[in-house]
Amino acid sequence: MAGLTLRVITPERVILDEAVDSVGVTATDGGMGIFPKHAGMVTALEPGELTYKTSTGEQSLFVAGGFAEVRGDTVRVLTAAGEPWTEIDEERARQAEARARERLSMSRAAAKQDAVDMARARASLQRALARIRLHSRRSR
Amino acid sequence: MASVKELRLRITSVGNIQQITRAMEMVATTKLRRFQDRAIASRPYTEEIAGLVSHLAGVLGDEVQDNPLFRKGAGSKTGVLLVTSDRGLCGAYNSNLFSDLEAWMSERESDDVDFFVYGKKGYSYLNGRGYNVERFIVDPPLESVDFGQAARTAQTLVEAFLSGDYADVYIYYTAFQSMVRYTPTTVQLLPLEAGGDEGEEQRGGDLILEPDAETIFESLIPRYLEVRVYNALLEALTSEYASRRMSMKNATDAASDMIKMLKGRYNRLRQENVTKDLLDIVGGAEALR
Repeated sequence: MAGLTLRVITPERVILDEAVDSVGVTATDGGMGIFPKHAGMVTALEPGELTYKTSTGEQSLFVAGGFAEVRGDTVRVLTAAGEPWTEIDEERARQAEARARERLSMSRAAAKQDAVDMARARASLQRALARIRLHSRRSR
Repeated sequence: MASVKELRLRITSVGNIQQITRAMEMVATTKLRRFQDRAIASRPYTEEIAGLVSHLAGVLGDEVQDNPLFRKGAGSKTGVLLVTSDRGLCGAYNSNLFSDLEAWMSERESDDVDFFVYGKKGYSYLNGRGYNVERFIVDPPLESVDFGQAARTAQTLVEAFLSGDYADVYIYYTAFQSMVRYTPTTVQLLPLEAGGDEGEEQRGGDLILEPDAETIFESLIPRYLEVRVYNALLEALTSEYASRRMSMKNATDAASDMIKMLKGRYNRLRQENVTKDLLDIVGGAEALR
């Protein structure tokens, strides 16, 4: 009864192009479920989990923010990066977290000399935390 | 006239050069294919982002003008992202770009233009000319650029634009048209021009926008700029390798011709020597009789 097509698109490649029953995304306003016959929609996403149900069960992906667009029976997710949760490199995420935290405390000491760096570090911290959270929740 | 030995040496050395250029041609072909594949792989994303931008711009109408990235910058300077190659032996790839740039620069004061450069060739050129190099982007080298790094470059440019020093920002790169055609191109990156694709705006009817059009638009525009920078870099790389492949192919062919010509001369000379030797021997034998 797959009534939706889910396409997850990054600049490097199309990660996923599959017929699914439903999709769950992490929008900026919180979790959101998308079922067949959903109205046309565009929403901004937070770094976090993207789930989708197929006849074989529920799958989970990490997406690094971006946008979800529903048009007709197609859900398009545009994101800078993404991977199935099984491919999350927890070690790398932890390193990224440590790096981001260090940079944040440094810039705070240097009195916001570079607002861009701060924003970047914060975004990178957010991504790292979202990856770690998703990985530890799923691998339990 | 060169001796037989000299000719033989030249044939060998030209042959060696030919081997090298042929190897370089093959390397360039493989890399070219890789960059082309990446450019193709990024197309769905680019199209979707561009589609969303034009859609939202349609929804927002004149409100897009409120976004600072759509307005002319406060400063008087022009920022240019110049994309050149790190290495030579790629034909006229860089010099075509430079001569085009020179024409472009002749219309403005060189003091008013700040460059952000990819590629050693561009950097040394600009330095030699005494142009302002605001930033020379070396880490990572252009060749191993991925989307994340292109995005960071885009953010750097946006930041420079918003800091108020610049009126506008351009990308100067070589656009890839076909395997044998690549042309120096300038595109205006900032400020963005509103309402380019009016015709598209009402496709798909009414959309729910979460949280709202402005918020989505604000986070969408940086993504859009990142994609444009990424595509420009990929296209420049593709052009570079297409150009390198062409010039290496030409070099290999020229070496073939040269070897052919030298071989002809070598054989004629060798034959002459053999004939001369024979005549000497026959002459000597005759005299002894």
